[in-house]
Amino acid sequence: MYRQGDVLIVPLDESAVPPHAADADQEPRDARGRMVLALGEVTGHAHAVLGPGRLVREPGVFGPLLLHLPDGGRVVHEEHAAIPLPKGWYRVVRQREYIPGAVRIVAD
Amino acid sequence: MTDIDVWRAAAAATGPADRVAAEAGVRLAYRAAGLAEPERIVWADSPRAAVALLGADDGPYGPAARGRGVRESVRTAPWAAERDRAQRRLGPQGWGRHWGATGGRLWEHTERLAERVRGGLVEELTAGSAAPAAAERSLRLLLLDAVLGQHDAAWLCAFDTREGTPLHGLGVLARSAGWWWPYERLAVLCERPVELHRDEAGRLDRGDGPALAFPDGFALHAWRGMPVPAEFLAGLGTLTPELIRAEENAELRRVMLEFYGYDRYLRESGATPVHQDETGVLWRIPMPDDEAVVMVEVVNSTPEPDGTSRTYWLRVPPTTRTAREGVAWTFGLGAEAYAPLRQT
Repeated sequence: MYRQGDVLIVPLDESAVPPHAADADQEPRDARGRMVLALGEVTGHAHAVLGPGRLVREPGVFGPLLLHLPDGGRVVHEEHAAIPLPKGWYRVVRQREYIPGAVRIVAD
Repeated sequence: MTDIDVWRAAAAATGPADRVAAEAGVRLAYRAAGLAEPERIVWADSPRAAVALLGADDGPYGPAARGRGVRESVRTAPWAAERDRAQRRLGPQGWGRHWGATGGRLWEHTERLAERVRGGLVEELTAGSAAPAAAERSLRLLLLDAVLGQHDAAWLCAFDTREGTPLHGLGVLARSAGWWWPYERLAVLCERPVELHRDEAGRLDRGDGPALAFPDGFALHAWRGMPVPAEFLAGLGTLTPELIRAEENAELRRVMLEFYGYDRYLRESGATPVHQDETGVLWRIPMPDDEAVVMVEVVNSTPEPDGTSRTYWLRVPPTTRTAREGVAWTFGLGAEAYAPLRQT
């Protein structure tokens, strides 16, 4: 698994990928054609992957995001070093924080 | 900029309205709805000022003078027609995809902001009222007449608002001004905020002043999204560990702790780490009559431009026993499953 700031990218065994994921609607790419794993609302800084692949929003245990990189790729961010990702499927998890009675996501 | 960036910027725009463009947008919206243009267009410095101006029953802009509300004809009906058209053209799945690529990306933040403005108005304008429930009811009715201008960005982003399209006037107004109230004979238009401060997650956030403020002083105070009273923020500069411990409201105490700095609080209260491993350090602050604050202290893996490494703190459930368990929890994993091969 790989971690870039507040995003964790966990390899997912091909056999564990939900069968509908390959045909599911993809998350739209941004204006620069990137798959955005998480976007900072104010700075616009993004954890993003460029190149072939698909990003699928998935409720439940695999969610919120599934990432498929048939040829591998690189996840980049304005403030973190890039991380090369081998080809395969990934589960993308955003970091969260505990607040009594609730949970909130972290924004780095 | 792509459309979504234009609308994202419009939703968060501050500074004086472009009154000429906004008024042209209003006239266009009335005409597109098959209505006569409003006889008068009046400007208000904030939604609070607009509500005050419209509220007096016998005032110059009261119900008798302004005529019936035309929000339905000016906004809701043309809007619904556009959505029907888009849904027919794209099909249910196609519309879902389109919404996800456009308005869906702006919806959460703009809706939350608009709701906070509504809440702030209700709180401020019904405080001290002799009959608060009745005051709130009539205020909520008045708020139902409003078109949200810049805060309608999510929907407008999903529609075609180019010149010659039915929603062009609404689009022009939303890129030029704030909320507005359309009536048969009168339109009341609001200025945009002069201050808007949000954190990276898009939540209202400011420690030394209003997070949202309009030219007439109508303002909302918030720390990382949590509404706080203005006087509370003013007191943050003189916090002491004793004052923090004495605060009875757990949410306000959390804000105090964050503002004061966990590291400083821990240093001054002589706390010692509960656990330490290669993922970070686990700290525990007992709180009287409340669950303990348990946090992991983590060092950012990528150094800052000046070569230092930023330390940050994440609150984790009070049952957490080890730093690894805490960090793993922040990603929804068990301690044994958390093993990053590489982190930056």
